[in-house]
Amino acid sequence: MKNEFRPSGPQLTAEELQQVKWLLGGVLTLISIVTVLYLDIPAWTLMVVTTIATVAVILRPSWPGRIPRMVHRLAFPFIVAMFAGDLWLNGELLPAMVRLDILLLLYRVISYRQKRDDLQLIVLGLFLVVLAGVLSVSLMFAVHILVFTAGALALLLVLTLAETSASSTPIPPGETPKWARHVGWRTLLRRVRQVTNWRVVALGTVLFAGLVALSALLFVMIPRFQLENGLFLERFVSKKTRSGFSDTIRFGEVTEILQDNSVALSVDVSDRAQIPASPYWRMLVLDEYRDGTFRLSNPLRRSAFSTERRGQTVRGRGRSPRRAESTQWTFYLEAGISRYLPLLGGFEELRFREPQNFRTARGLELVTLRDDPATMIAYRVQGMTSADTIPDGEFGAQLASRRKNPLAAGALMLGVDLPAADLTALQDINAEITNGGEVSAAEFGRRATEWLGSHHAYSLRPNFPPGTADPMIRWLKSREGGHCELFAGSLVMLARVAGFPARVITGYHGGSWNGFSNNFTLRNSDAHAWAEVFDVQTQSWVRVDATPGGANADASANTPAMVQQRRNDRSWKARIESLRIFWYRQIVNFDQNNQLDAIATVKQASEASGKRLREALDRVGALFRGWSSAPWNGRRVAGAASLAGIAVVIVVMGFWMRHAWKNKRWLRQGKGAGDRVRIEAGRWLTRLQSIEVAQAEASRGDVISALQRIRYGRREAWGDVPEIFLRARRLWRKRHAVRHVPKESGPRKTEKSG
Amino acid sequence: MKAAEDDRWHTLGSEGRHPFSWNRLLWALIFPRRRQRIKFTLPGLMLIALAFGVGTAAYNAANNILFIALSLLLASIVLSGVLSAINFRGVSWRLQLSPPMRVGLPATVTVGVRNAKRVVPTYGLWFGLVARTVDRGPAAKAESTLTARGIDVRAALEQGDKAEARDRLYLRSRLDPKAETNLEWVFRPSQRGKIQVKLEEIGSLFPFGFLSKSLAANLMMEAVVWPAPVEYRRYAVTTRRRAVGGERMTRAGHGSDLFALRRYERGDSHGLIHWKASARTGQLLVRQLAAESLEQFALWVRTDPEVWVRKEQFELMISFAATLAEDFFRADKLTSVAIDGHAPLQIRRLRDLETFLDHLAILEPVNASSRMGESAMAHRSNVIGFAPDGPRGVAAWVQGQRIAAT
Repeated sequence: MKNEFRPSGPQLTAEELQQVKWLLGGVLTLISIVTVLYLDIPAWTLMVVTTIATVAVILRPSWPGRIPRMVHRLAFPFIVAMFAGDLWLNGELLPAMVRLDILLLLYRVISYRQKRDDLQLIVLGLFLVVLAGVLSVSLMFAVHILVFTAGALALLLVLTLAETSASSTPIPPGETPKWARHVGWRTLLRRVRQVTNWRVVALGTVLFAGLVALSALLFVMIPRFQLENGLFLERFVSKKTRSGFSDTIRFGEVTEILQDNSVALSVDVSDRAQIPASPYWRMLVLDEYRDGTFRLSNPLRRSAFSTERRGQTVRGRGRSPRRAESTQWTFYLEAGISRYLPLLGGFEELRFREPQNFRTARGLELVTLRDDPATMIAYRVQGMTSADTIPDGEFGAQLASRRKNPLAAGALMLGVDLPAADLTALQDINAEITNGGEVSAAEFGRRATEWLGSHHAYSLRPNFPPGTADPMIRWLKSREGGHCELFAGSLVMLARVAGFPARVITGYHGGSWNGFSNNFTLRNSDAHAWAEVFDVQTQSWVRVDATPGGANADASANTPAMVQQRRNDRSWKARIESLRIFWYRQIVNFDQNNQLDAIATVKQASEASGKRLREALDRVGALFRGWSSAPWNGRRVAGAASLAGIAVVIVVMGFWMRHAWKNKRWLRQGKGAGDRVRIEAGRWLTRLQSIEVAQAEASRGDVISALQRIRYGRREAWGDVPEIFLRARRLWRKRHAVRHVPKESGPRKTEKSG
Repeated sequence: MKAAEDDRWHTLGSEGRHPFSWNRLLWALIFPRRRQRIKFTLPGLMLIALAFGVGTAAYNAANNILFIALSLLLASIVLSGVLSAINFRGVSWRLQLSPPMRVGLPATVTVGVRNAKRVVPTYGLWFGLVARTVDRGPAAKAESTLTARGIDVRAALEQGDKAEARDRLYLRSRLDPKAETNLEWVFRPSQRGKIQVKLEEIGSLFPFGFLSKSLAANLMMEAVVWPAPVEYRRYAVTTRRRAVGGERMTRAGHGSDLFALRRYERGDSHGLIHWKASARTGQLLVRQLAAESLEQFALWVRTDPEVWVRKEQFELMISFAATLAEDFFRADKLTSVAIDGHAPLQIRRLRDLETFLDHLAILEPVNASSRMGESAMAHRSNVIGFAPDGPRGVAAWVQGQRIAAT
């Protein structure tokens, strides 16, 4: 029997494996360093230096050999001293650890690594990638961790191969190993391509996909239980909001936010119809105006906000509908937006995914966290109201009892801290708005909005006329365009001068419906400011959006169908952002309840399918029993025989088709059919020439000649191709028969008997 | 010299595969046979520690990002196991010995490896080989190390180590699908006798080095290690011409015909010195006559324990006898050999000599009382015998004359 085994093909040498290892180590370092960009930790210098050094040593692997030995001796004391100094000066553990990590990576990448050094490099890189994921909760983490995992596994694979291909000896500092002296990356890549078996690469890709699928399965199946948030990395790093939604806001800050088109808030809602035609997402109440700045006054902060609590559930004072009927709103507030949570209005219950430190202001219908969230924060709200008015009887009562007390004006949102000349200007404008008569708060809001709209256009770049008066008064008296803060602030000032308590509200207005992920998306460009004026008659706060072009400007354009049509976003951007929502819904927000839901779904599906199968089997069984228990006659017997015959025919046809498909598919006419016939003939020639058949088999020569004609001859000279292949097959089978003949009775096979 | 001839290729599970029986299945469930052993390596332990740390942090923080990292780490271990199983699949091996093996000289063991897979190559295998001398003496009495003296225990352990050579052969290159290769292990046997060369395990760190997986191969072959060649001094002696008849002449020549020249050896007659040739070559050469080439010897090894009191001296005698037998055979002076009371063995071809060396390799002292009578050697002339020469040496004697000594 011919030996089918052969020597192995060309493969990478030990030196080439070391070069591949070096390249992979550098690439892994670069991948790790990139993740620091998401961390928002000041380490720019280190990042740039490490990146440049990594690229340099990848391109010139001999350079680390030129580093003096003294550097290697002093490296670790220096790194430790840097870490200690960093920790001492800045006092923040996590940023110091990140910088330490980058320093260690830098040192590892510029020195020749042994196996343990490469392992250290992988662990250091993994630390950065996971840390970036934990602190940013970004969708990019998924991409990064997958790329990093693939790179790390490839490096580990090369490490294992390099370890077995040659004995590794440590490289003394200051010396250049042989493999690093003459590295030609193009040559190496060519060699890698030369020795790579692409079928193995395909198999590796499939296995990596299996790894991802398995980790997804493990992610879902790992049992979840809460350990009360004992350790959380966010606590070791301080973050500031990136947007302008703090409790102090200057003119123009909301405008700055408007320039940012990134997603600020995503909302999952169980009933889409519950989203108002023109939703106003309230975040913060600003009641004090001084020096061109609206802010949350200290008296209001003290009186309205409760003491800080820690927990997962916040009880609101909204209505208490039956839980099953109430709409569920799940908010995903991006990191760096604000610690004030966007809400439509009052609510029944707000539940965080994990325990938080928070304070509530029930009268203001606000909830604020203690710290600005460093990562995406998710919370679920039930029983949320979204009317244009917010009832506040408590405020009304306070107003009635303390209206005559001027000291309380600030807390009652009536105070106007402006010079007398500015107050006079406001009173003049009010006289123009009200024509000297008495109007309700709602009517005042409507007229003031009209007046502002008739005197000022909307502009993101307002001009303030020169003068010494308050900038808002100067703008009011001019005909300059302005942005939402100016309109809202002006309306509040005018309302207060007219005797109506009023406040500025900041938050978001509008949004769009993502048609792919079916959720409501708000971008930073949807940031908005508007006013709320207290109506004594209805004992509630009335929303007044004085900004021209606001949603209330043209109510006829806000029919539900038109709004839904207008909002439906099916752009490519929405498609990409739907991935982010999937990430938040299914990955970041995955918890014990989701796990139980998944188990219940699987259980229900399996039970339902099992039930359907049982029912189907029962039906078939009942049919068969009924049929078999009926009296037999010739017709029934003939019917049964026909059925059996049909079954046999189907089985035989199946076998025949399988056989035909396997053996004669190349006989189909069409492009390349002739080549396939020639290839098949070549296969049979190889087979028949490798075997020995009984001498009596004279037809072997004829078959081989016919096959050679097919393999090399003109198509016209082929003859009956299927018949020739059939004869070849018979010969091949006889070869098997010769081999398996028992020794006692049959002829011995030549090579055995010899 | 014999090595068990076994050219079969072995795969995992091909050894000890028995027909199914419930009884065997039951015992296998109670006492599973050790087929595969998986150990965590340093990177594997690091991975476990890392997974433990990430898992703790994930539970503590209820953070799904950490759960993702944990899942990937765990899945990597699973992938490592799958790839390792694929790596071992379709691999077959065989063991081949290359006789002769001699004490102190390099011996070669060849491990053939095949990869029968169609697509996937095999990487980074190692083969754990051990060569162990089979104990020739009676089984040692069991003794507790608690009561034994330290020096005895150390000596026993040292002896055990000496009797065993152990190494790992690495498949340093990739073994392509449908490819085969040979790996060679060279070792130096330290003792004569039967030696068992065993392929104990086949292991690999592939793919990521997390796990060291090894399969019990238990493939064993036996061979005989001949005694070590020794250096000795030869003494010129006058021996009796061999009796004509009964034994075959192996080389042509008549009486005092000059057959060849050879270097002068101590004891040679000065009259035999070929002065002209000596002057030409600058060294003393003597005439070797055809008659001399006909000097034939028989070799008789006696193993009386009363004579060979010291074991080292006995071993030296065996090696000396083997060396002399080979040298005399090469010089065509060896007619027959005998051991103790056994019948003499005619040495006509190389195979006869190898048989004698095989016997010598496993020879142990035998009491005179247990021997089966005297050998026919006792009545022959030109029989080389051995006797202790001083406290350590061994001398070869022919008819009362010392012809060589170590």
